[in-house]
Amino acid sequence: MLVLDRVGKTYPNGVHALGSISLAVEPGEIVAVIGGSGCGKSTLLRAIGGLDPASEGTVTLDGERITRPHEKIGIVFQEPRLLPWLKVADNVGFGLGDRSKVERAQRVAAALNRVGLTDKATVWPRELSGGQAQRVAIARALVPRPEVLLLDEPFSALDAFTRADLQDHLLDLWTDARPTLLLVTHDVDEAIVLADRVMVMRPRPGRVFDEIEVDLPRPRDRQSAAFDFAKRRILSALDRSLDRSATAAESEPKAATGAAMWW
Amino acid sequence: MSLVTMTVAVEGTSNTAVPVGPAVSNRWSRWARPALGLVLPVTLALVWEFVVRMGWATGRLAPPPSVIFATFVDLARTGELQRHTLITLARVAAGFGIGVAVATIIGAAAGYSPLVRRLLDPTIQGLRAIPSIAWVPLFILWLGIFEASKVALIAVGVFFPVYLGLMGAIQSVDRKLVEVGRAFRLTDVEMVRRILLPAVLPAYVISLRSGLGLGWMFVIAAELMGASEGLGYLLIDGQQLGKPAEIIAAIVAFAIVGKATDWLIVLAAAPFLRWEDVVRPE
Repeated sequence: MLVLDRVGKTYPNGVHALGSISLAVEPGEIVAVIGGSGCGKSTLLRAIGGLDPASEGTVTLDGERITRPHEKIGIVFQEPRLLPWLKVADNVGFGLGDRSKVERAQRVAAALNRVGLTDKATVWPRELSGGQAQRVAIARALVPRPEVLLLDEPFSALDAFTRADLQDHLLDLWTDARPTLLLVTHDVDEAIVLADRVMVMRPRPGRVFDEIEVDLPRPRDRQSAAFDFAKRRILSALDRSLDRSATAAESEPKAATGAAMWW
Repeated sequence: MSLVTMTVAVEGTSNTAVPVGPAVSNRWSRWARPALGLVLPVTLALVWEFVVRMGWATGRLAPPPSVIFATFVDLARTGELQRHTLITLARVAAGFGIGVAVATIIGAAAGYSPLVRRLLDPTIQGLRAIPSIAWVPLFILWLGIFEASKVALIAVGVFFPVYLGLMGAIQSVDRKLVEVGRAFRLTDVEMVRRILLPAVLPAYVISLRSGLGLGWMFVIAAELMGASEGLGYLLIDGQQLGKPAEIIAAIVAFAIVGKATDWLIVLAAAPFLRWEDVVRPE
């Protein structure tokens, strides 16, 4: 189980990026963190991943405190971040440096097959489309079989078609070993399609404003009324989160109006 | 049609790379296009040859191509040309080797460690402002008039571009890729081997090439200032004995070995740089 206990982050320059966040995520649960830019959601993810450890509070995975990158935690970034000098297969196997050559080859082949890119094993990353590259990045993160997979706006740079495709694909991959997924996004639809639970954050400093359960059977129909209902709940929570920060006179007034402007 | 199949279809079509143009046009571009660059020099040479043959000019100070060629062949037949070329090549090789070795160690340290950079870089940048030729009198005093001072001059010339290139390349390694290394818990040594080295290699190769170019420049300077052997000596010899064809033959030899050594670097690095996302000539 992934447990956050009053996690906060203050940067050395005095910026208070993250308030006090407590959260317990069950194994296999999918949690989406949503909020406008600057609400500290990426900071939170980086703290959990051990890339930028929290300055207050603790992050623990199965009782073990996380202060730097951990082998049970995989990360997918907003950009694929494939190493351009490695062929696709070697990128997928990047995290298996300590395994035997045979095992690496087998697991890489299986992973590539799973993401449907077997035919791209021997091409350079530059020859992939954006969607393919991000699928390789997901495969790279999943190959070491992490217990927790962190995703930092993983599909935000993709076009709408590819994005929906990859959301379904991610869910499909998730069914294999059911890792815990913690996903940061600013796309409400994405949060509802994927998550069991959506944490709405508010900025300055970043903290959890509301927590919304999405209790819909998978696969989720993006056109259904229940989907729309969940979406309205989240949008209104986002709106309220910004209204309050505006009345507290700590943000620009233009941020206070309307769902269309919440980001 | 569902959204998913549509997306797959879109991706499928956009990635089917079709080689453009038949094989014939490939062959044309392979040979004919570089040949275009030869049109101007060859024409000028032929015109000059014709002018001298017709007796419109003596060609005594600017010998026609046929005379240069004959001189070149003569020098090659007696083995003089090879001897001088080899000596010059050896000087460049020694100077280049020393310059690259020192520049690589210091450049890597300065790129990797801010402390080393703050300690060394200002001094090195200061020294860089001095024209390298200005060191010659000092090197001659310190190292004598023979090989050591020449090699030292070449090494100094090679040092700066390689140092600057490597340090800059290390500093500008994509922070996001370094973070991938951290996320996969690479040790420092692994980080250097698996992320930093491949990332800096393209810029390093370019700096080696400009270093080598400077090495060839400085070997001439060194040999012009006093040598009894080497291509630079041939230049001086041709000047003092009034043999312009010999000077031009030596210049041609410089051009050939200079280009050949540059090409060797490119060739040696090519297998490691296939991944580069560059615009390739069609």
